[in-house]
Amino acid sequence: MTLSRPAKDAGEPFMSIAARIHEVPDNLLAAIDYCYEKGWTDGLPVVPPTLERVHATLEHEGRPPETVIATHPATGLELSLHAAAVNAVMAGCLPEYFPVLVAAFEAMDKPDFNFHGSTASTGGSAPLLIVSGGYADDIGMNADVNLFGPGNRANATIGRAVRLILRNVFQMVPGISDKSTQGHPGKYSFCIAERMRGNPWPLLCEAQGYPKGVSSVTVFAAGGFCNVENHGGNTPQQVLSSIADAMASYGCITLGQSVVILAPEHMRILADAGWSREEAQTYLFMHAKRSVEGMRAVGKYRASEYEKQHGAHAHQLVETGYVHRGLAPEDILMTLGGGDAGGHSCFIPSWSRGRGSIMQHKPIGVCIDCN
Amino acid sequence: MQLYDPTTSGPQRELLRAPPLTSLDGKTIGILENGKLNATEMLRELARLFEDRHGCKVHAAYSKSNASAPAPAQILKKAADEVDFLITGLGD
Amino acid sequence: MLCTEPFEVTARNIARVLGLPSYPFLRVQHPIGSCTLPELEARAQVAYEQAVPILLRA
Repeated sequence: MTLSRPAKDAGEPFMSIAARIHEVPDNLLAAIDYCYEKGWTDGLPVVPPTLERVHATLEHEGRPPETVIATHPATGLELSLHAAAVNAVMAGCLPEYFPVLVAAFEAMDKPDFNFHGSTASTGGSAPLLIVSGGYADDIGMNADVNLFGPGNRANATIGRAVRLILRNVFQMVPGISDKSTQGHPGKYSFCIAERMRGNPWPLLCEAQGYPKGVSSVTVFAAGGFCNVENHGGNTPQQVLSSIADAMASYGCITLGQSVVILAPEHMRILADAGWSREEAQTYLFMHAKRSVEGMRAVGKYRASEYEKQHGAHAHQLVETGYVHRGLAPEDILMTLGGGDAGGHSCFIPSWSRGRGSIMQHKPIGVCIDCN
Repeated sequence: MQLYDPTTSGPQRELLRAPPLTSLDGKTIGILENGKLNATEMLRELARLFEDRHGCKVHAAYSKSNASAPAPAQILKKAADEVDFLITGLGD
Repeated sequence: MLCTEPFEVTARNIARVLGLPSYPFLRVQHPIGSCTLPELEARAQVAYEQAVPILLRA
C-alpha cells in the first residue's frame, strides 16, 4: 500500500513523497517480528517505525521530509529526511538525536568521504561519528567511561541509525554489497562524544572553525579499534611512542588518516608538559613509520605510494627511506575521551590502503555558508 | 499498527547493452583498470589473448583513481568513442 | 566486466539496481592481487573463453 497525503494540520509533516506504509497487527512483538521478516534489521530487534514516532522525529528538522541529504554515488539511491527519520526510530533514537544523524549523512555525502567504497570494501570499515560541542551534552551523549562501549542511548542509537540507513536505504547489505572480509563491531554502532571536561585543547568544533556555540559531527571511515595501553609512561614522548607504534603496525600502516582518542590519564601527561594538539600530531607523524625494507619484507611496499608521500608535495617531516602513516600531521585527528581512570588510549586507522576516504565534518542543526 | 517502510526504491531504469560485434578481428580494445593490485596486469593478459588470436590492438589504458567510485563520465565517453570494446574489472 | 567469484553477487546486485539485471560478467577464481604471472595468465584464459560469446552474442 502506498500513501501520499497532505498534512491534516500544522503539526503534521506534508508528505509529498509517496511514503510506503505497512499494515501490521496491533501487537508490538508481532511488529518487531515483521521488521525481521522484511530484512530491515541489523540482526537485533528494531523499534517498529510507527507514523507518530517518525513524525515526532521529523519535527526536529525544519526542511521538508522529501529533502534529499545524501545520494549513493554508484547507484543514485537517495536518502530523504523522511527515510532517515524512519531508520532513526527503528534504531531507537529519540527525536532530539535526529540533527546529529542528519549532519552526519550530509558530511558522509561529500565526495571525498566516499561512503560507498568505505562500506562496500573488503576492508570492513564503518563510519565513526565524533560529536563535538554542547549538543552532545544536550542530548546526553557519553564522552566518558566506556566511551566506545554500550549503555548510552544516544551513542548507541545514533550510530545504529547510520548502519540501518546504509542497509535499508542504500542497500549496502552484508555479503551482497558490503563485502567486508571480517567487518568489526563498529558496524553495529560507532558513535562517541568528544570529552569536554578536562580537555586542554580546543574542541574539534572550534578547531574546525565553527562559530562559538555551534556543535559539529565528524565522520571517519574507521577500521577496527586498537587499544593502546601504557601505565608506566610518564612523559609525552613515552605515551605517544606507544601510540605511534600501534599506528605503524604492519597491519595498519598506510597513507590513510588516523583517529587517536587520548585517555584522560594520558592527556594529563601531555597537558602538564604543555603539549599542544599540533605538537602531539607532529610527534606521532614523525614516529609512526616503517622502513622501506620492512615494508618490502612483508609485501606491502608500493613505489607509487612512496612517491606520493615523498614526491613533489612531500611534507617537510617525511624521512627518506621510511613510509609514514598518513601524508601529514594533520591527518591524525586527536582529542580526549574516556573515563578518568586507566592508561588506555586508542588508535583507529582509516579504511583502505591509501586515501580512499577523507574524514569530513558538518555543523549540527545549522547551515553555515549555505548557497 | 501502521509502520513506515524504511527502504528506498531507486528510479526505474532500463539500460541497453551495446550491439554485438560481428567479428573480433582487428578490433580496438580499451582497458579500464581500477587501481587494485594486479588489475592492470590481469586486464592486459586478457587483452593480449585478443591481440594474439584476433589481431586486436589495445588502443588505450584508462584508469580510475578511485576503485570504489564509478568511472568518471568523461573517461567512459572517451572510451566509447575510441575503442570497440572495453575490458574492466569490479572488486578486488 | 571481469570479477572474481566472491564478487559475483555484488556485480549482479549493482547490475540490477542500475537497470541491466541480465548483464553478463566474466568470472574468474579469486584472488587477483596476490597472483603470479602464470596464475594471471590462467585466469585470463578462463575469462577469454567467457568473453568471446558475450562480445559476439553467440
